[in-house]
Amino acid sequence: MKQSPRIGALAKRLRRGQIPFDRIVISVLLILLVIIPFILKEPFYMHIFIMIFLFGYLGTAWGLVGQSGQLSFGHAAFVGLGAYTSTIMFLNLGVSPWLGMLVGAITATIAGAVIGYPTLRLRGPYFALATLAFCAILQIYVRNTQYLGPFNLGSAWGLSVSPFPGAEGPAFFLFGSKTPFYFIALAMLVGIVSLSYLLNRTRIGYYWRAMRSDPDAAESLGINVGRYRFMTFLMSCALSAIGGSFYAQYFSFIDPTGVLDLSLSIQIVLVGVVGGWQTVFGPMIGSFVITSIGQLLRAQLGGAYAGLHLVVYGIILMLFILYIPRGLNAPVMRGLSWLETKYWRPSRNANNEKVGRQ
Amino acid sequence: MEQVASALVLGILLGCLYAVLAIGLSLIFGIIRVINFAHGSIFIVFLYLGFFLWQFWGIDPYLSILIVVPAAFAFGYGVQHILIRPMFLREKAYVVEPLGVLLLLAGLDLVLSNGCLLGFGPYTRAVTDSYISGVIQWGFLIISVPRIILALVAVGLTFGVSWMMNHTDLGHRIRAVGQNREAAAICGINVHHVYAIAFGLGCAVSAFGGCATLPFYAIFPQMGMSLAIKAFIIVILGGLGSVPGALLGGIIIGVVESVGGQFVPGTIAIIFSLIIFLAIIFVRPKGLMGTIEV
Repeated sequence: MKQSPRIGALAKRLRRGQIPFDRIVISVLLILLVIIPFILKEPFYMHIFIMIFLFGYLGTAWGLVGQSGQLSFGHAAFVGLGAYTSTIMFLNLGVSPWLGMLVGAITATIAGAVIGYPTLRLRGPYFALATLAFCAILQIYVRNTQYLGPFNLGSAWGLSVSPFPGAEGPAFFLFGSKTPFYFIALAMLVGIVSLSYLLNRTRIGYYWRAMRSDPDAAESLGINVGRYRFMTFLMSCALSAIGGSFYAQYFSFIDPTGVLDLSLSIQIVLVGVVGGWQTVFGPMIGSFVITSIGQLLRAQLGGAYAGLHLVVYGIILMLFILYIPRGLNAPVMRGLSWLETKYWRPSRNANNEKVGRQ
Repeated sequence: MEQVASALVLGILLGCLYAVLAIGLSLIFGIIRVINFAHGSIFIVFLYLGFFLWQFWGIDPYLSILIVVPAAFAFGYGVQHILIRPMFLREKAYVVEPLGVLLLLAGLDLVLSNGCLLGFGPYTRAVTDSYISGVIQWGFLIISVPRIILALVAVGLTFGVSWMMNHTDLGHRIRAVGQNREAAAICGINVHHVYAIAFGLGCAVSAFGGCATLPFYAIFPQMGMSLAIKAFIIVILGGLGSVPGALLGGIIIGVVESVGGQFVPGTIAIIFSLIIFLAIIFVRPKGLMGTIEV
């Protein structure tokens, strides 16, 4: 009862068009996404949505590096480090993956520091090639190694994350249905997009914009380009590793072909490029398009035509780079502002900054 | 001791295989300043061409050079002209290292390597008879003759490319464009034509080496990326844009893998090449014989 005057005030402001359009779009989307699992009970559709959120999350984490003006082809390595660290700690030491997730993030950060420190000082393709080489070599190593010290790495057979007595239930990131995973993935996606959005409004966001449009000019203005790129990359590694731990718990199986493969890196890159890499909301938009197409394609084709979906991905990647280099972010944002001017009363807030504007 | 010595020789020969890829890659980078991400899969496509020429028409790999190399040149010319040129026309003149081109070539790589997988299946194929085969035994060393020929081809390609760059009119034009695109254009050089020639040459050089590889090397669709990653490591080790550096880097990586494989499991030997790669970036980013400052 106490709420009603507030709701009344809200409705009044809504009628007058005093609430920024951006906020309305975001609220409607969020409400829809929260309602979906109660309407769509089909596990297959739930799976598609979880994959969309997961790749949106990974794409946004990858996109942080892109926003600082570099290109990583090896993010699968950091996803894999996260997945393997939390799984190994769970299987061997009985540590909850919630905690293993953080240890995985630290592991990935250390690996990222080793790769990033020498290469991010330099201009040129060094960083892209180093991440690619790291990912490939880590995969070869894991594929051929059964034991790392006392821990079972599983080599090419992979590891399965199965509960054992004393380690089961939500405290150990194990759930019986897909619904909890749906909400965790949604929360992760919302969290990382908000992080990216907020970072864009702080000093580091302005540095990113300066660095990616002209690193030399940014350097001459006193921005330590190498250092900020390095910090951004470490953040991206840690966040990717958290996504990797989620992957391991959701699929309850990891192997070098799943989490350390170049095709995972490519899928992350593709999600980013299609949505518009170097934008805040781009990877999320890209994931809604690419991941749903990819999952449906895979469901339709089954195991037939090995490699076909990667050919399709390659063609999409080339077409986007050639013809829509700024991705779907720009047209989506333009569509939203068109909707706003057409159907939304111009308000005092109309001149506020548009979400994700470049 | 004998094992190590023979591993050393085999490593040098293995390095020559990596070097033929790296020479093409380095040539392209030296002129266009673009890493040809799709180099490994272009290499594989032309290995398949050579293989099918042998399988269906019985053309020996050494003879099929006459067909494969021009085809690779035409392919490379086309890739540069159709795919990459629009990117250059779009970028601002002073942007030398468009990351977009790298992504574009990654897309091409996906299409080519998975196209091979889709078209030819995951099977391993090998040319089983060739004009030249057999082994040479010299003391404790046993070396197959086609491997020696490949090493000679790699050295020959290195010297051939260097000679062409220094002593022919085309070479002078290519170097001029590589040094300064705008100045070369002012002098009346058709920059985009030269770029396309350089890309074609890079592909042709690697395809030439690929034909010499066919008699002793089995091919399968997924090997492109693993070869390309070694080639990336090698060009940075030898110096981006330096053709002799690519040969030297290839031999170093080949020796590290082969000799290292004698003492530790092969997978750990591969980690050595990653460590060398990071160390050289750390200590001397322009590479052993590089001239391009970074």
